[in-house]
Amino acid sequence: MTKFLVRRLLLSVPILLGVSLVVFITIKIIPGDPVASMLGPTSTPEAREALTARLGLDQPLPVQYLSWLAAMFQGDLGQSIAQQRPVLGLVADAFVNTLWLTAFSAVLAVVLGLVLGAVAALRRGRVAATVSNALALFSISTPQYTIGLLLIIVLANGTGWFPVSGMYSAIGGGTWGDLLWHLVLPGITAALVPAGIIARMFRSTVLDVMSMDFIDSYRARGLSERRILWHAFHNTTPTLLTVAGLQVGYLLGGVVFVETVFSWPGLGQLVFDSISKRDLAVIQSGVMVAAFAFVLINVVVDLLHSLIDPRVRA
Amino acid sequence: MAHTAPPTPPPFPAATGTTRRNVLLASLAGFSTLAAACSAPGAASEGGGSEGAGTLVIGMTASDIPLLDTGMAQNEGYEGLRFVANQLYDGLTRFDLTDGSVIPPVVPGLAESWEPNETGDSWTFTLRQGVSFHDGTPWNADAAVFNLRRYTDPSFEFFYQELNGQAGLSIAGIAAATAVDEHTLRIDCAGPWAYLPSDLTTVYMGSPTAIQEAGNDGFGQEPVGTGPFTFVSVERGQSLQLAANADYWGGAPVVDTLILRPIPDTTTRVAALRSGEVNWIEVPPPDDVPSLEQAGFQVETNSYDHVWPWCFDTTQAPWNDVRVRQAANYAINRQSLCDNVLQGTAEPALQVCPKANAAYRAENDLYGYDPDRARQLLADAGYVGGVTATLSYPTSGSGNMIPGPMNEALQRDLAAVGIDVELQPIEWASMLTDYFVGNIPGGASAINISLSFQQEGFWNNWLGTGVTNVTGWHDPQVEALFQQAKETLDEAGRSDLYAQASAIITEQAPWLFVVNDRNPRVLAANVQGFVEPQSWFVDVTDVSVE
Repeated sequence: MTKFLVRRLLLSVPILLGVSLVVFITIKIIPGDPVASMLGPTSTPEAREALTARLGLDQPLPVQYLSWLAAMFQGDLGQSIAQQRPVLGLVADAFVNTLWLTAFSAVLAVVLGLVLGAVAALRRGRVAATVSNALALFSISTPQYTIGLLLIIVLANGTGWFPVSGMYSAIGGGTWGDLLWHLVLPGITAALVPAGIIARMFRSTVLDVMSMDFIDSYRARGLSERRILWHAFHNTTPTLLTVAGLQVGYLLGGVVFVETVFSWPGLGQLVFDSISKRDLAVIQSGVMVAAFAFVLINVVVDLLHSLIDPRVRA
Repeated sequence: MAHTAPPTPPPFPAATGTTRRNVLLASLAGFSTLAAACSAPGAASEGGGSEGAGTLVIGMTASDIPLLDTGMAQNEGYEGLRFVANQLYDGLTRFDLTDGSVIPPVVPGLAESWEPNETGDSWTFTLRQGVSFHDGTPWNADAAVFNLRRYTDPSFEFFYQELNGQAGLSIAGIAAATAVDEHTLRIDCAGPWAYLPSDLTTVYMGSPTAIQEAGNDGFGQEPVGTGPFTFVSVERGQSLQLAANADYWGGAPVVDTLILRPIPDTTTRVAALRSGEVNWIEVPPPDDVPSLEQAGFQVETNSYDHVWPWCFDTTQAPWNDVRVRQAANYAINRQSLCDNVLQGTAEPALQVCPKANAAYRAENDLYGYDPDRARQLLADAGYVGGVTATLSYPTSGSGNMIPGPMNEALQRDLAAVGIDVELQPIEWASMLTDYFVGNIPGGASAINISLSFQQEGFWNNWLGTGVTNVTGWHDPQVEALFQQAKETLDEAGRSDLYAQASAIITEQAPWLFVVNDRNPRVLAANVQGFVEPQSWFVDVTDVSVE
């Protein structure tokens, strides 16, 4: 088991290096200069030149990349050009905020996905199943941006039940209740797509399992329908785990739009903002943290998978 | 500031050695506890010291809290100076923003008075006495020299390259700063620099003691100035909390607490105002203005020094012919744009100089809506079958208003007279990169970018010898007038020179003069005492929240 874990984690190193190289090349290819973006239209050419030199941005590209890499291996993620602060603290703060949103959405997505998927599979042909299917399809196919704005307009603006944006209230905020209150709308928005996907997958898996021979044999042996369902559910868990794991991984990197709409100070918003400012050090670290978290979640899913299903271990 | 204690998270279930059912439960519960196990909410520094009474909460358009170190606040555009630098710090001079009916004059700030020498290349400032920084250290000539050297002198231990770049034109005139005595400061300029006092409104003074202790990298985390508000706490991306400086030399602000929140999405910003999360927002979407007014919110607008033009590349066809440029200026219906697309949040620009600039002369207003005249001018220029052009415009950006709908409206007006314009949207950061080196992105023949003449040096930047004069249009007489202005100490005389230049520029039309923004912002009904000035900046010290 340890060997498996170590191997998987070591495998993530080339993945992360690849990610960092792709991010670096992408940012260097697209037009836009961090110094120009930071100094704005009123700066003098001389000042821009001097700052470019001080930041080492006049060095050849391979030198820039390698010196960033060397510093990173020494634990130095660099300094944010736009925010004038060490990247490590910025990314760590933002990542924790994203974790809150992701965790909340993941729970919502899994619960909602299971319920919708189960209803669609076990009540086939009835109104409830049709409604479940429709809901699942709706949540997959409606853009998060639209849903987020709709929720804001109806539930925050219209009724005042929930806050419009941010993570804490500006006045008297900071409590757990306040955090939870702020989590509801962005949480729902982020949860809808994974919930829909989990529902669709769960539905087809349940249908597959229910048509297997062992179910007939249980029925023949006279097991109660409830016991049969339990066994069927048990057999769906490997697929469920894989899909849910992937979806949670996507959530970590994919809440960019949600964070932007709700001004949630997470990793997505930080990276989004840093791209428009061409703040390479922050983009690099932000994307790599998201990528590493994605790899890690998949390793955890594989581990759980092998615990549940002995065939995987073999 | 009381916070409820974080609940103790349940222990993370151990996977090994448990039954399969427990593993299953663990897999579901794991995600929910993962985050809880990581840390408690990181908002300990947030929350109001007061419970809402006298607390002004402003929703800014900025994507993040501006940097807090003096002039570095401009990293989020002029909004950063407006709400952060002008509240935490003072300059030697400042604008008087308390009367919305006049163009804000330059008045004493940390200097009580100033006097140029005869040639205007050396200025002596008498400093305000009895002023302290927020950390209690005294404001004096040594503090001023420390700050000015930090801005401008590469040989100084605390020289800050980023700040030097950010300050740009504000410090362009400063060659050296000397403390004559404890309360007298002399600034020597690179040459005659008639508008130095105006430039200095945006050169901010921080506490030398605090800067020495924290260093250039650290000062922005615990900023110390002399301004009307003091720093309390900041949560990146979320909010900046400031407290009224009871000892402010200009009189303590009325509100106890000022909270700034970055809310870049316009829809979210309006929603935050409607729900009461903030009681002031910058730049509402024009379409929301009528309904906000109906709902009892106060929509404030006023002229200020802003112009929203297209800059033509006059070195290539079709814009190399002045008649085509003038034709375009006659072809667009500015009033309709202001009324229908912008809902009164802007006013027509009939010449280069904005109304809220001292150089504005009504007699220089030249271009009305006259499509027939436009067609005639095009015909005179020999373009019978119409002309084609391309426009590069930014999709967002400070002061750029709503570029998409505005440019589409202009495109329709121009097409009606035979000027067929292809629109090329481009991301703001990408556009600036080209613009800074004097290029129009994508080989387009015109660029749309919002500009201002608030700093007098901008005239030469945009329309004289500056690199950012992307028009390729150069008029020796205009450039001579700009140079003469730099040497003319009399303010009225200077504005006459700019007015003369304006007349020539307007007639020669290197730009499509479109609109002047009216700086819309919306205040909740309980926000009182605010005066919308004719400026990018605002004075919030007299504002109260009832």
